[in-house]
This record gives sequence, C-alpha cells and structure tokens, in this order.
Amino acid sequence: MSAEARIALRPGLRLTAADRPGVAQPVPERDIPDRKWGAIMLAALVMLLLMLGAWEWHWRSYGVAPETADSDALWATQRRRIDNGEGTNATVLIGSSRMLFDLQLPVWQKLSGQRPIQLALEGTSPMFALEDLADDPNFRNSRLLVGVAPELFFSGFAARRGVLKYFRKQSPSQRVGQWLSMHFVEPYLAFDDSDFALPTVLARQDWWPARPGLHQRAPVRKLKVVAEEDRASHIWDKLEKDPQYRALAQGIWAQHLAPQPDDPTPAQLRKIVDEQITRAAAAVAKLRKRNVEVIFVRPPSAEKYLAFEDKVFPRARTWDVLLAKTGAPGVHFQDHPELQGFWLPEWSHLAARDAVRFTQALYAIIERDIEHHAPAAK
Amino acid sequence: MVFNSLTFIAFFAIVLAIHSLPLAWTIRKVNLLVASYLFYSAWNPPFVILLWISTVVDWYAAQGLVKAQRPAARRAWMLLSVVANLGMLGYFKYGGFLLANFTALLASAGVSYHAPAPDIVLPVGISFYTFATMSYTLDVYLRRALPARNFLDYALFVTFFPHLVAGPIMRPTELVPQFEQPRRANRQQLFFGLALMTIGMFNKVVLADGFLARAAEAVYDSDKIPGALDAWMGTLAFSGQIFCDFAGYSTIAIGVAMCLGFAMPDNFRFPYAAVGFSDFWRRWHITLSSWLRDYLYIPLGGNRHGPRRTYAALMATMLLGGLWHGANWTFVAWGGLHGIYLSTERWLRKRFAGFRPNVWSVLAFGLITYALVNVTWVFFRAKTFARAWTVLRGMAGGNAKAVPLLNTESLVVVAVITSGLVVTHWLMRNRTLESVLARAPAAVLSCTWAVMAFAIIATQGNGNAFIYFQF
Repeated sequence: MSAEARIALRPGLRLTAADRPGVAQPVPERDIPDRKWGAIMLAALVMLLLMLGAWEWHWRSYGVAPETADSDALWATQRRRIDNGEGTNATVLIGSSRMLFDLQLPVWQKLSGQRPIQLALEGTSPMFALEDLADDPNFRNSRLLVGVAPELFFSGFAARRGVLKYFRKQSPSQRVGQWLSMHFVEPYLAFDDSDFALPTVLARQDWWPARPGLHQRAPVRKLKVVAEEDRASHIWDKLEKDPQYRALAQGIWAQHLAPQPDDPTPAQLRKIVDEQITRAAAAVAKLRKRNVEVIFVRPPSAEKYLAFEDKVFPRARTWDVLLAKTGAPGVHFQDHPELQGFWLPEWSHLAARDAVRFTQALYAIIERDIEHHAPAAK
Repeated sequence: MVFNSLTFIAFFAIVLAIHSLPLAWTIRKVNLLVASYLFYSAWNPPFVILLWISTVVDWYAAQGLVKAQRPAARRAWMLLSVVANLGMLGYFKYGGFLLANFTALLASAGVSYHAPAPDIVLPVGISFYTFATMSYTLDVYLRRALPARNFLDYALFVTFFPHLVAGPIMRPTELVPQFEQPRRANRQQLFFGLALMTIGMFNKVVLADGFLARAAEAVYDSDKIPGALDAWMGTLAFSGQIFCDFAGYSTIAIGVAMCLGFAMPDNFRFPYAAVGFSDFWRRWHITLSSWLRDYLYIPLGGNRHGPRRTYAALMATMLLGGLWHGANWTFVAWGGLHGIYLSTERWLRKRFAGFRPNVWSVLAFGLITYALVNVTWVFFRAKTFARAWTVLRGMAGGNAKAVPLLNTESLVVVAVITSGLVVTHWLMRNRTLESVLARAPAAVLSCTWAVMAFAIIATQGNGNAFIYFQF
C-alpha cells in the first residue's frame, strides 16, 4: 500500500486492489453490518407485498386484466412455427395493428378449419416480415394475408423492426425466460404491461410543462388485449366502454396525424412509396415461385384517420399501384359493402364485436372472389 | 443469462438450493462449475468452447512455468498464455476492426481492396475472462503466486458465474483459496447478499434502464443537433447510466457470491466524488484499472525510469485500456483523454508540490474532475466521431442550428437523479456502504429495501443486457 493511500483511508474503509500495486491480491474481506437482517428482510417483504397489492388493485380498477404479453419473444414463438414444420399449407398473417386486432383467429379457424399464424405487429410495416418469409424456404404452398395500413405500409415505418433480429439471435436464456413469464407472471399480474411500467406512467403525467420548440408526439396508449398465447388479439374493451379513454386515444391519433416539421416532402414521400411497392413486388415474386398465395388486405379505418390516409396516401397512388405491380389480389374495405358500417372506437381498429363480423365477411370474400392457386386455399 | 431476468432468478434459486445441501465440498464445487457453464452457455452454447480453451491453455502454461528451470523456457510458457488469450480476444473482438482499418489504409494509398465482411460474433464477456485467466499465468510467471493445487479449483476460478462475464475481474489469489475450504453462507450473509442484489438491481433496472437510458439515446442516437442544455443533460444521463449499470452489475455479483458464501472485491468506490483523475481511477472499475497497472503500466516501466518513460507508459496503458472497451477509435480517444488528464495531473502535482487545497478547493477540483470525466463519456457513448464532435460542440454552446431534443420530464428526471448520485458520492466519499447500513435505523432499511424492490418490479425491465457485456 502506498503512503498516500494509507493516509487517504479512514477507519472502516476497505482496502481495494487500487491500494496494493504490484502484488498478489489477497482474498477479499467483506464485512456484514451487524443488524438483524432476517427481521429487516421480513418487514421489507411485507411492505413490498402491500405495495404490489395496491399497485395491482389500482390497475385492475382501471380496467386491466392479466394477459399474455405481446413481447418480441411471443412473436418469436409464432415465427418459429414456420421453421418447425408448420410453414407448409399454412395461413400466415402479417401486417400492422389492424391485422392483429381486426382479424379474429378463432373465427377464421371455425370457418376454414385452420388456425392462422399471427405475425402482424402494431406500429410496424409488414415489409420486413414479407421479405423475411420470401427468403425462407420453409414457407411454401401456403397462403399469406398481408395487412395494409397505408400510413405504415407505404412509409416503411416499423416501430418493432427489431423483432426479427431478436428472433434470429434469441438465446436459450431468453427462451426459458419467456416460458417462465408466460406461466408464472403474465397470468397473474395485470400491471405487467409496458404501458403501465413506472417510467412510462411517470412520463405521461399532465404536470410536465411542454418544452417550447420541442415537437414530440404523445406515445400511443394501450389499445389491445392479447387473448390467447398464439397472439389472438382484439381491441381493449376500455376503448369501447370508457368515453374518456376513447377521447384520449383519438387525441393521440390526431396528434400523430398532424403535420410535423420533419415530415418528408411530397417528392420524398413519393419516392419512399415507390420503394416500398418495388420491394413488395420482389418479395411477392419470390413467394409465388414457392406456391405461396399472397393476398393484400386493407382493413377499415374511419373519420380523421381515414381522411389523413386518403389525403397523404391516396388509393390511386398506393393501393392500386401495389396490386398492379405485384400482380397479387387484394381486398379493400371500400370495395365491399359487407366490410363497411363497423364501429371503430378510435378510428383505426374495429370494436371487438365488429372484428368478428369483419373476419367472417373477409373470409367469405376471399373464398368467393379470389382465384386461388395455392393448395392451402383449396 | 443476465442477472435481471426471470431465468436468472430460477437458475440462482436452484444453484443456491443445491449449494446448501449437505453434500461433499467437491460435489458442491462441481455444482458451481456446471452451473457456471450453464450460465455462460445460456447466451450462445458453442462459445463455452472458448472458455474451455482459455482455461486449459492457462492451466498447462502455469504448470509449465513451475516446472521450467531456464528463464527462456519460463518466458516461452508465459508467452504461450499471452498469445493464446490475446489471439482469441484479437480475433473475436478486433478482427472486424483490424480488417476495416487495413482496408481504409489501403484505400488511402490508392489501393482498392474490398474484403468480405468477417461477420464475427463477439462472445459475451471474453474481455473479462481473458484478463482473469491471464492474471493467473502472469502471477505465476512474476512469482507472485503459486499455481492452483487442483484443476477443479482453478476451472471454477475462471468460470465462477458471478464474475464471469462482466467482472469484478478476479485474481487467482483472491478466489482460488476460497475454493480450498468448504463454504456456505450463514443467514446474515444470505440476507445481506440479497440486500446487495436488490441495490444492484435497482441501479440497473430502475435508474440506468428505466430513467436514464432514454435521455442518453435521445441525444446520442438522434441525427438532430443538440444545444448546450440537451448536450449536457444527455451526457449527464449517460454518465449516470453507465455508473448505475456497471456498478449495479458489480453489486449484484458481490451479492450473489455472498449468498453462496464467497467474497468478491469492491469494483467501485463512489467515483463521481473523485478529486483528480488518479483518484477517479482508484474509484472507477477498480479491478480493471489495477489489472492494467499491475500487468501493463508497471511492466512498461511505470514511474521507475524517469518522467518521459512514465508519461509514455501512462499514455500507452490508457490507450490500450480504451481499446479494451471496444473495437472503435472512439474508445481509444476516450482512453487517450484519460491518459492526457492523468499525465497533466501528474505534472501539476510535481509543479505545485507544496500546494495544500482547502475544503472549497477540494470541492472545486472535484467538480472539475466530474465535468472533465463527462467530456470523456462523450467519446465513449457516441458511435462516431462526427456525433461526438456535435455533442461536444453543443456542450460548449457552439451549435448554431440546435433544436430541443429532451422534454421537460427527461430534463427533470436526469437533473434529479444526477444530483442525487453526485451528492450521494460526496457523502459516501470516505465511507463504505456497510458502515452506513450499520448505523441506519432498521425501519429505514426495511422501507428502503421494500421501495427499491417495488420500483424494480414496477419498472418491468425487459432484461436489457448490461452495457459492459459488449466489452
């Protein structure tokens, strides 16, 4: 130990390797404060349980119930089904939240006898999933329904793009963690949802004043409920029952749809749209070679959301071009009266009851109007 | 597996239960060894082979060192260990970096060379266990220690899961003797170990990931230009994040080892209350800085061969220390800045040897040290020099087209946590956590423990990897 170190150290301080240059370091000594740690821990445990009970009660009172977390790991369990032998003669769904909330897996299964694999992701263009499946030889002789939410599909925006990297690099530890979470945490705790995480809750409180000059959109709040472990989902009934929460969700969409300083110019946007369509056409061509029938589906939207989509992503320059360039069939809700007249509480997703009707009508249209090629469709 | 995961909780409960059974000490050590390999392979099973290679090479190198009579033979055994370890580290960690620099060098000479992408995956924790195993051979070579008496104790020293992937970097003399006698934690050790694990987890899950990471990302991962406020707050956020992340990991590791009946050394000693940079490095990542001092700085001459050689050794040590953190020139710049700081401090101490600072001077020097350490964090966090310069220019108030990046909530959260962190470090500067806990009222300890545990659960960390895993 250097003289300097000896002077700097006060009684009670431990020596560290920093105090012993150029020598073999001895076995460390760690002192345990002389306290009744058992009693202290027991008291802490009781308080912890009380706090957790109060926190759980608070969120249950808010209308939340325990559900399967729609984590990257859950998506990976569904994606893995394709690699594990279910990628042939399958029906696979990709798209954004509308495909996830609106297309009801149990209804589709009842009608077709086959449960689709749900790979749609909220806030995310399905382009990465389309290209991933196009490159996967395990996926063949199947049907692929691609949900098109114009704002996402034609802009390429993908909030959860990282899910594919996660799927490819998922460690054994993460897989075990997913299993433990699904069996021991998610079925019991309502607050186990990223929308109710402590930092998220703190950040969205009203008391924070807006910072001048900062253009920031409020994060989207909880909108869906995952009903089953294969990601069968529907809109959260709070949006149907609670006018205040519904107004909040609409307000957040209105904020997202308002022009922002960093929005692309019309020319830049046209280029982005063309690029997405070109990528989709290339992926569809690859899938067609493996006898995968690709069907594009444009689920309903309403009011301000629909007005925004019609203005920024007009059908003639997006949807129609997509079908023409890919040569794939499509079902657009505006072309079918039976896909209209639904209630979309926050303008973007169908009420749960209407999602059932929508699925029935969509299935009927696909079976009736689309010429099928893949064996799965027969 | 990461400490902050359900998998680890289940794993640790099983390991602890088996370790507590009335089994022979050898069987319990085998349990720890197998558990440690499982712990490591839970990331990527094939990389366990690298761990085995490192273990076996150094075991035989140390045996060879003991048997060798001639200095040349001893040197050859030592070099075998160094080359094997650094070779592995070099390939996996620096292979892509070296190739990219080689290509760039050729391009600057007008030679167009396009090498295929090496696509090398970095085995988690390789930098840590490589240094641990090297210290084993080097200590035997330097005659500071004898080799382990049996292979099981030695293999467990290399692999012991609490320190395996992110330290504290253990020396053989610190851990191997602990495996020679049966060890099991008593109740006090078990409960206090759990308390330490809670403190570490709170630092990592709540402070680092939950509250500070977002502000750092908003400034450093954006392509927008920050003003002085955003650049400083983003940097302070990262400064707090990396401390809470890494010190949190070390505290959990110490707690885990304590629950099993083992002692691990301190890795941090309230570094943001450092006065001067030599003081900082006696408080920050102590096991790495002392490793670099003992196995690099001192062998390079240390302070024994005049001022020039001392400054050269200091700079070389810090530049290589920077490179140890990551295969990027920004890390080298980070290390270089610390080298310059340390050299300047050394010169100033000699130049003003008679200067005795009063309390206010100490405080001022402490704040200057903290500010300058934050400047180095810019290079550590920025992915490119371009971004580093943009943030630094912002910190100096020189960005003309700056736009606000952080909202009020982020600014307040960063300010509160940073202030709390710095004040705590100053209050704890000459204390240990244990000495404070020994005097605190029991009710306060229980309440604090409960609140920390609640915050950890309510924050719902998603098992983010610790920052230092990438090193």
